[in-house]
Amino acid sequence: MNENRAAKDLICVGKGVERVDTLEKLTGGALYVGDLLLPGMLHAKVLKSPHAKARIIKIDTENAGRVPGVRAILTGDELDYRLGLYLVDKYILAKGVVRHFGEAVAAVAADTLIAAEKAVELIEVQYEVMEPVLDPVRGLEKDAPLVHPELGSYDYIKDVFTPVPGTNIANHTKLRKGDIEKGFREADFILERTYTNPNVQHVPMETHGSIGQWQTGDRLTVWTSAQSPFTVRNLLAHSFSIPHNSIRVIIPYVGGGFGGKAGIHLEPLVLCLSRKAGGRPVKLIATREEEFSMLPCRSGLVYTIRTGVNKDGKITAQKMTMRWDSGAYADYAVNVTRASGYSAAGPYEIPNAWIDAYTVYTNKPFGTAYRGFGHVEFSWGIERHMDLVARTVGLDPLEFRKKNALRPDSITLTGEKITADSGNVTKCMESAARAIDYGRLTEEEKARERQTGMKIGKSVVALHKAPAMPPCTGTAVILKMNEDGSVVANFSLTEIGAGTYTSVAQIIAEELRFPVSRIKISIDSDTDKEPYDWQTVASKGLLLSGNAAILAARDLLAKAYDVAAQVLKASVVDLDHDADGVFVKHHPSHSVAWRNMAVGYAYPNGNAIGGPLIGVGRYIAQGLTNLDKETGQGLPALDWTYGAHGLVALVNDRTGEFNVLKVASAFDVGKAINPISVRGQSIGGMLQGLGTALCEGYIYSPEGVLLNPSFTDNKIPTSLDLPPEVVSIAVETPQLDGPFGARGVGEHSMIAVCGALGNAIQNASGADLTHMPIRQEDVWRALQKS
Amino acid sequence: MPCSVPDEWRNFMKIRVTINNSIVEREVSDNKTLLHFLRDDLGYTGTKEGCGAGECGACTVILNGKAVNSCLILAREADGAIIETVEGEAGDGKLSPLQEAFQKHHAVQCGFCTPGMLMSIKALLRENPKPDEEQIKKAIEGNFCRCTGYKQIVEAVLYVTGQLEKQEELIHE
Amino acid sequence: MLQEFTYLSPSTGDELYTILREKGSAGRLFAGGTDLLVDIRGGKASPACLIDLKKIERYHILSYSDMEGLSIGAAVTCRDLVTSTVVRVHYPLLAEVAEHLGSPQLRNRATIVGNICTASPGADMAPMLLCLEASVEIASEEGLRRVPLREFFTGVKKTSCAAHEVVERIIVPSHTADSKGGYEKLKRIKGHDLALANVAIARKGDTVKVAIGACSVTPVLLRDFSAGTSAADIVKEAESSIKPIDDIRASRDYRLFMVKTYIERLIDALQCA
Repeated sequence: MNENRAAKDLICVGKGVERVDTLEKLTGGALYVGDLLLPGMLHAKVLKSPHAKARIIKIDTENAGRVPGVRAILTGDELDYRLGLYLVDKYILAKGVVRHFGEAVAAVAADTLIAAEKAVELIEVQYEVMEPVLDPVRGLEKDAPLVHPELGSYDYIKDVFTPVPGTNIANHTKLRKGDIEKGFREADFILERTYTNPNVQHVPMETHGSIGQWQTGDRLTVWTSAQSPFTVRNLLAHSFSIPHNSIRVIIPYVGGGFGGKAGIHLEPLVLCLSRKAGGRPVKLIATREEEFSMLPCRSGLVYTIRTGVNKDGKITAQKMTMRWDSGAYADYAVNVTRASGYSAAGPYEIPNAWIDAYTVYTNKPFGTAYRGFGHVEFSWGIERHMDLVARTVGLDPLEFRKKNALRPDSITLTGEKITADSGNVTKCMESAARAIDYGRLTEEEKARERQTGMKIGKSVVALHKAPAMPPCTGTAVILKMNEDGSVVANFSLTEIGAGTYTSVAQIIAEELRFPVSRIKISIDSDTDKEPYDWQTVASKGLLLSGNAAILAARDLLAKAYDVAAQVLKASVVDLDHDADGVFVKHHPSHSVAWRNMAVGYAYPNGNAIGGPLIGVGRYIAQGLTNLDKETGQGLPALDWTYGAHGLVALVNDRTGEFNVLKVASAFDVGKAINPISVRGQSIGGMLQGLGTALCEGYIYSPEGVLLNPSFTDNKIPTSLDLPPEVVSIAVETPQLDGPFGARGVGEHSMIAVCGALGNAIQNASGADLTHMPIRQEDVWRALQKS
Repeated sequence: MPCSVPDEWRNFMKIRVTINNSIVEREVSDNKTLLHFLRDDLGYTGTKEGCGAGECGACTVILNGKAVNSCLILAREADGAIIETVEGEAGDGKLSPLQEAFQKHHAVQCGFCTPGMLMSIKALLRENPKPDEEQIKKAIEGNFCRCTGYKQIVEAVLYVTGQLEKQEELIHE
Repeated sequence: MLQEFTYLSPSTGDELYTILREKGSAGRLFAGGTDLLVDIRGGKASPACLIDLKKIERYHILSYSDMEGLSIGAAVTCRDLVTSTVVRVHYPLLAEVAEHLGSPQLRNRATIVGNICTASPGADMAPMLLCLEASVEIASEEGLRRVPLREFFTGVKKTSCAAHEVVERIIVPSHTADSKGGYEKLKRIKGHDLALANVAIARKGDTVKVAIGACSVTPVLLRDFSAGTSAADIVKEAESSIKPIDDIRASRDYRLFMVKTYIERLIDALQCA
C-alpha cells in the first residue's frame, strides 16, 4: 500500500523521527511487570529440578506449609492441565517426571519473597534419577530413552506437524523439490559436511515475569512481560476451559523478548497459585539463573548438508538434514523446524532439494522462538558450506553466491516464484562487499597486518527470511480521534524494543497528514481494550499492522469526509484533508476543523451529526497456503527480506586470537520507514549475532546439569565487543503489499553473522570451523588441525 | 487482607540517605540490598534488577559520586550516602541534555538497561566531560544492552559532549 | 537478599578484633562485597553475620613512603589504585592491572585486599603483587603479623588468614617501585571476564619475576630470573610449575599455550623497553 509514493512527497515516513515509546524509559517512569504492585499481592518462588531426567517419587510440602506468610503451595499433582502452542505436551508443573534441569516442580506464594524462598527450601522431593538424552543424534537412535513415551496421545495441529510416536521426534518436516537423485547425478562435485550450534539464551535484560489473579467466578487477569497477549489469552482459555472474555491479559512495558516471551510461560502458574491463595494476585519474576534454565532457550542444531554442484559453479542438488536439539517440550520448536525447514538452503536456488528436519526431544531446557526462528542456526551451516563448495569449484565465495542467488523467476524450495518485487539479495551482497572493500586489502589494512603480524580475512554472506506464521495471520488497528484532533492508536503488537510503534505512528501520521506528535500509540497492550493481533514475532508486525494502520486511517478519513461533505455541502470526491481539517479542494477556505468533528459535529443551532471519529483497519495475510506435509510445497511467505553481511576479521594464525574489525550489513527493507530505527535494529541484531558467534552457548555436565546458568560463564557482548566499524545499508526494492513498500527486518540482522565470522576467519588463517561458538581457543584448535 | 509479620522485620536499623537531593530516613533490615531498598521501600522503580549478581549493570546508581551496582550493596552500607538514580536525571519537568541526546539518537530500545546506562554515563561525564569513543565504551562496559548494540548510545554521548563530528547514517542504496 | 544475616560495622580496629573473635567462622568480613554478596546469593556462603570494615578510617589509606613502600589499606578500591598519583608514579604496573578487574561499577567497590583474600586462583591482582614482592599485614586481638604474599595463598579460595583475623593492608616494598613489566589476561570476551589464565611479569634491576594465575590451585610465583633470561627458559620453568585443568572456561592445553604466548610477549616487550 502506498508503495509508489515518491520520497519527496512524504512528510514523515522515511524520516528518523524520535521514538514514541522511550520518554518514560528515559525518566525511570516506565513500569515493567517487576515494578507493578497490586493490593494484597503475594510473591512466588519456584522449586526447580536439579536433574535432567528423573521420576518424582514423592513431594513433601508439610514443612514448607508451616512457614509464616505462606498462602499457597502447588505441585504438579494438583494441576492436570496440559499446554502447548502446537503440540500439547507440557504440564504447568512437572507431573510424575522431570524432563530437564531447571524444570519447575513446585511453587509457593507467600506474603514476602523471603518467606516464599524459605518455604521452597523446605519442600522435600524424592527423585529416582534416570538416564537422560542430551543430544539429538543420540535422541534419534532406536534404543534412546524416550523423553515423551506418551507422545502418541498428545493433541497437535495435524495439518502442519508430524510427530512420530514411539520416538523422540516431536515433528518431522519434509520437503521434496524436483528429483534429488537426478540432481546429484548431474553434479561434478558432491560435498557433505555437518555443522553444529549449541543451545543459546535470548538474554532479554528483563527476565520473564508475570502477575496472575484468579478471581471468583473464574475471572482471570494476568499482567505479564510477553510478546503476544492474545496467544496468552487463547492458550489460557483452552487449557483451563474458560471463555475468552473471562480472561484479560495486560502487557506493560517489556524489557526485551527476542522470541523468548512470544508464547506462554509463567502465566498459568501464577494464575493457579492465585486461585489456590483465594484470589490474591501472585507475582513471579524469574531470577537470571532461572531465565537460563527454567525458562526456555534456543534449540541447538546438528545440520548435515550435502550439495551437488557442477564445475561451472551451479548448484544442482542439495540434501539437508536438520536434527534440532529442542529440549524437553515442543513449545515453538516444532514450528522452528517447519519454518526453517522450508527456508533451509538460504537465499539460493536449489533446483532439486530434499529436506528432513526433525524436532528431537532431549532432556534439556526446551527451545522456544528465538529471533531468526531457526535461521541463525542453519545459516551458520549454509554459509560455511557455501564457502566450502565455492573453494572446491574454484570460485570466489561471493561470485559463487551471486551465481546461485535467488533472482526473478527463481523457484524457492517450496515452489514459490521469486519476482523483481520480492527483493534483491544480489544487490545486498554487492553493497555489503563494497562497504568492506571485499576482494582487496586497503593500504590501512595492509599496514595493520604488518604492524600486528596478524592476517586479515574478509567474507560476504547472504540471508533471507519470511515471517514464520500461519497463512491466516491477521491484525487490526483502531484509531480514535481526541477532542483536539489528536489521535490515539490501539493495537496489540507489543513494543519489545524494535521500534515498530514509532514506525506505525509515522505511517498513521503520513496517511492523516498530521505531525507525528499528534499520534499517540497506546503503550500497554490489553486484550480487553486493544484489537486482536496474532503475536509480536516473525518480523511481520510492520507489514501487517502498518497496513492495518493505513486502512484504519483511511476509515477514519472516510467517516470524517462523510461529515465534512454534509457540513460543507460538497461531494466527498471534491474533498481533501490536511493537518487542520477537511476542505473543499477547489475552495480550500471552505473547511471543517478536525476538532469540530472529532466527537461529533454540532451545527450552530445545536443539531448534531456524525459521532466520535473512530477508524478501524483490519489486514490479513493473503494468498498464503499451508505446506504439503509430504513435499513441503506451498506458499508460506508473506514477504521475503533478503540481506547480506560483509565482515573483516584480523586473526593471529598462531594463537587463535582475533578481532572483528568491521561489519557491513545490508537488508532489502523495501522502504525504511524510520532509518535511525532500521540502523538500530541492524547494529543491535548484528551484535546479538556476534554474541552467538563468539561466546554464547549452554554447557552441560554428562548428567545434563547446566554448568553455566549465569553471566559468570554465559557471556554476552559488552560495549567493548562492538566492532570498531559498523555499517548499515538499506536496499529498497518496494514490497508491493507492504505499507509504503516496507518489509520487516526485526530478525534479519542477526541471521548470518556467524557464517560471516567463520568464513572471514578461515579466509584469514585457514582455521576451518564447523561448530559454534567460535572462541579464540576454537580457532587455535582448528589451526592445529590444518 | 491479613498478613503475617515478615521475617525480615527481626533486625531493623534506621538509615539516613540523600536520594536525588531528598533526605530520607527509614528502618531497614540488615540483609536488604540498596537496590531493593530503592525499589521496594522507596518506590524508585526506575533502577532495575537484571541479574542480582553485579554483572549486568541494570541496577547501576551513583553513590557518593561513583557508579556502582546497587544489587551488591547493602542498604545499611549506604547509611549517610548521597545517591543518584535515574529519577533525578530530568529536572523541572524537562529531560536532561543527556536524556534528550538519547532520544534523538535512538539510544533506547526496550529501555531496561537505560536507567543504569544513564547513571554510568553521568558519572563518567562528571569526571571526563569530553570522553572519546573508547573511553565511553569502557565506561559502559558493565552495562549490558541486548537491543541497541551500543553504537547509538555512544553516539548520543559524543553528541551531548559536542564531539559528534559526523553522524553515521543508514546508507540507502 | 533472600538470605538472612546480621550486619555489623565496627569503627575501630579493636572493636573489629573483638567481633572477629566472638563470631569466629559464623562471621564474614567484607569491604567491597562484590565477591561475598554474590556467594551468599548463590548459596556458596551462608554467614550469620557480615562484618563491614569500611568504617575503620585507617583502612582507607593508600600511601607511599620511601622506607616502607606502598601501603594499601583493606578498604582501598581498585578505582582508588587506578586513579592514585602515588601508584601511577611508583607502581604503574599495579594501576594497569587494577583496570582489568571487573567492570567500572565493580572497580568502584572491589578492594585490592578483598581480591587477595577471596583468593581465586585467577585473582587479577595476585600475579603482579606476587611479582612485586608484596606482603600482607594480618591483625587480631593477638597482635600483628606479616606474611609474604607468596606464602599467603594455601589453596583454591583459601588463605592463611584465620577466621578471627583481618588482613589490614598489603605492603609493596619500596625496592620494587619503578619496576617495568606487564600483565596479560585470557578472557572469553573483550568485556569484563574472569581470568582463564593470567600472567604478570615485573623486572627491577637484574631480577625478573613471573607469576601465573588460574593455572593451579593458587596463583604461582616462579623462581627469580635474571634479566637476560630467554622467554623459552621461563616458559620451561612455568610449564613445570603450573597445573592447569580443563574446565568449562578453557582447556588445559590452551591455557598452557597462552601462558607460553603471554610470557613470550611480555618478555619481548620488556626487552624492547
